[in-house]
Amino acid sequence: MLKVIIEKEIRDLISSTKFIITFGACAFLIIVAFYVGTTRFNLNQAYYEASRAENIRSMEGMTDWNELESNRIFLAPTPLASLVSGVSNDIGRTAVVEGRGSIPIEDSRYNEDPIFAIFRFLDLEFIFKVLLSLFAILLGYDAISGEKERGTLRLAFANALPRQTYILGKLIGTFAALSISVLVAIAVGTLMMPMMGISLSGNDWIRLLLIIMAGLLYAGVFLTLSVFVSSLTNRSANSFLVLLVIWVFCIHIVPRVSVLMAARSVDVLSVDEIAFQQSGLRAQLLDEVSEGMENFKFAGANDDIDALSNQLNAHMDSLSNVRDSKMQSFSSRLYEERGNGQKTQERLAFALARISPATSLTLATSYLAGTSIGLKNRFQDEAKSYQEQYGSFLKEKTGSNTGGGLRIRQSTACTAAEDKENEDAKKEIPKGVDTKELPEFKYTDVTPTESVQAAVVDMGLLLFFNLIFFAGAFVAFGKYDVR
Amino acid sequence: MNNNHLGNIKPALEAVNLTKRYEDGVLALDHVSFSIAPGELFALLGGNGAGKTTTINLFLGFLEPTEGEAIINGIVCHKEPLEAKKQIAFVSENVQLYSNFTAIQNLDFFAKLGGKKDYTKGDYRDVLLRVGLSADVHNKRLSGFSKGMRQKCGIAIAILKDAPVILLDEPTSGLDPKAGRDFIELIKSLRTENKAILMSTHDIFRAKEIADVVAIMDSGQIIMQQTAEEISGKNLEQIYMQYMAGGVFVSEVIGAANA
Repeated sequence: MLKVIIEKEIRDLISSTKFIITFGACAFLIIVAFYVGTTRFNLNQAYYEASRAENIRSMEGMTDWNELESNRIFLAPTPLASLVSGVSNDIGRTAVVEGRGSIPIEDSRYNEDPIFAIFRFLDLEFIFKVLLSLFAILLGYDAISGEKERGTLRLAFANALPRQTYILGKLIGTFAALSISVLVAIAVGTLMMPMMGISLSGNDWIRLLLIIMAGLLYAGVFLTLSVFVSSLTNRSANSFLVLLVIWVFCIHIVPRVSVLMAARSVDVLSVDEIAFQQSGLRAQLLDEVSEGMENFKFAGANDDIDALSNQLNAHMDSLSNVRDSKMQSFSSRLYEERGNGQKTQERLAFALARISPATSLTLATSYLAGTSIGLKNRFQDEAKSYQEQYGSFLKEKTGSNTGGGLRIRQSTACTAAEDKENEDAKKEIPKGVDTKELPEFKYTDVTPTESVQAAVVDMGLLLFFNLIFFAGAFVAFGKYDVR
Repeated sequence: MNNNHLGNIKPALEAVNLTKRYEDGVLALDHVSFSIAPGELFALLGGNGAGKTTTINLFLGFLEPTEGEAIINGIVCHKEPLEAKKQIAFVSENVQLYSNFTAIQNLDFFAKLGGKKDYTKGDYRDVLLRVGLSADVHNKRLSGFSKGMRQKCGIAIAILKDAPVILLDEPTSGLDPKAGRDFIELIKSLRTENKAILMSTHDIFRAKEIADVVAIMDSGQIIMQQTAEEISGKNLEQIYMQYMAGGVFVSEVIGAANA
């Protein structure tokens, strides 16, 4: 009997005008999302390669690593980030790394092209969030009330048909019709990727499959919810209206309100405030450095310029180290305070927003695509560990990890014999630095296991919502007046 | 009123003191009793709100009686609704099937719901021809069917289920005279297959024409029940029309009908 209901449901749905129209729109937009994502990935990849080449090119004229003041490292685009943007367009793709100190991150996509910030990108996550939920609502809003209005429910239940079988068949049949059609569209979209020159790694495939699974679970939530609401009303118009209100709240209101509420509940030290406090300390430290410079006492013969240069450099280095260390510990404390505040705020915002399954979809897919809110911190952490490598490299090449900066060149104090040698050397063509020696930055993305671990809460929540609404539909239909 | 006209014949369908009071306090059925033997057609006449559809809903297990029992072949409907429904084929006032499906697809689905899984397309075509639907519409979607055609599909589904009891809820309501006549002929043919038929209707002419027993309902009670022989020769139409027009006391109706 269950099979009969499932078959009927699938056949009834796929032959209906509403299915043809909504599926057509959904499939078209899913394919468009893949196309847009693939095209954008290719563009971002070209941009990434060009930026890296430009960075190396800018070093070509250098004859000494001392001339290198900073190095630019870049966040490589990934195919999945093009399908599920997450925060990848909001954060910068370039980090400016110096031997020490803070690492500014620049060149965010939305900063470069603000128009995209207004309308955001048309990515797979957006299509899933908006269209799959609507598609599910359109398939489910009249599942029960519509059958009652049409009079088919009464006729069906004039037979020895258990209610549980009927509602189960309805849910399975509707979900099958929805998921099969969505999977067909996704399959077409996925096939476009290799055709447009993108090859996904094994890990990417696993992540993509999990993203699709999250999308289907999300659609399932709205489907079971729709059947549940449909089992509570006698009129499909009422059911549709209720679902539309829920949809608006889930997609547009709950996430935004949650963030606002979390922001009001948890105070986070702002970047401006940190900058203000830093500039206060910086002024104080400058005074200390000036004082320290005044206190410099040369211990040696007055004509020993080399010794003077060495001692002055050492003194300056020591003053800089003290200043940097004080500044760094102060900044670290402030940023840690800000980071802790942000984490508390984030946890509260996510906890509140997870009332909406749309939040769980956004979080799960962005974790799986490696574009979650943690991407910026991860890039920054990776940049920091690169900074250590880079600093060591500079130290090895120049004797200091500052690169460039206020250094007194030993060549300014040389003997007459050395002067002659230098004169000879000047006649030779200066030898450029070998940029290949520069340590290479390679961003290591989170592993699929880490992604799944991060996404498991939200995937679990989506499953939980499915079960809750499924149970709701089951109970409500058990009491439904089928007359 | 003694509603048992069957004597020792075992009824296929039986209402025993069937009472239904809705949650809002309305007494829709008030100790209604009647029996229908296999091969017998029982017509339940009455105006809107008389309790005809409530009676049918109690047999279909859509409602639970407040008191009394609806019994089909010994099975108490509200106690074993699924078992009882295996014994019932039902045709409603306005048969609504799946408009995206063809006539054959609809028949296939409802036949399977009725537990009949071995029918072939040929069987469906035969039954559609039997109810008067020509071969050219068998594979057409129901969305283009008239009410008369849909009612015929409804009776085709009832025939396919091949249940011992058939419940007809105002099946000819809204049909044009030709379609109504065709429908009645179909019902007559079913009676010859030893089916017990309960038909609720407003249409006293058709009821008198085909029913073995006619009962008139008012305010949840059967106010008159007579066999075809008892009715024969009496001016039931006039009495019923007076009753339907209102203003006639129950006692007068009964008295006149028995006169």
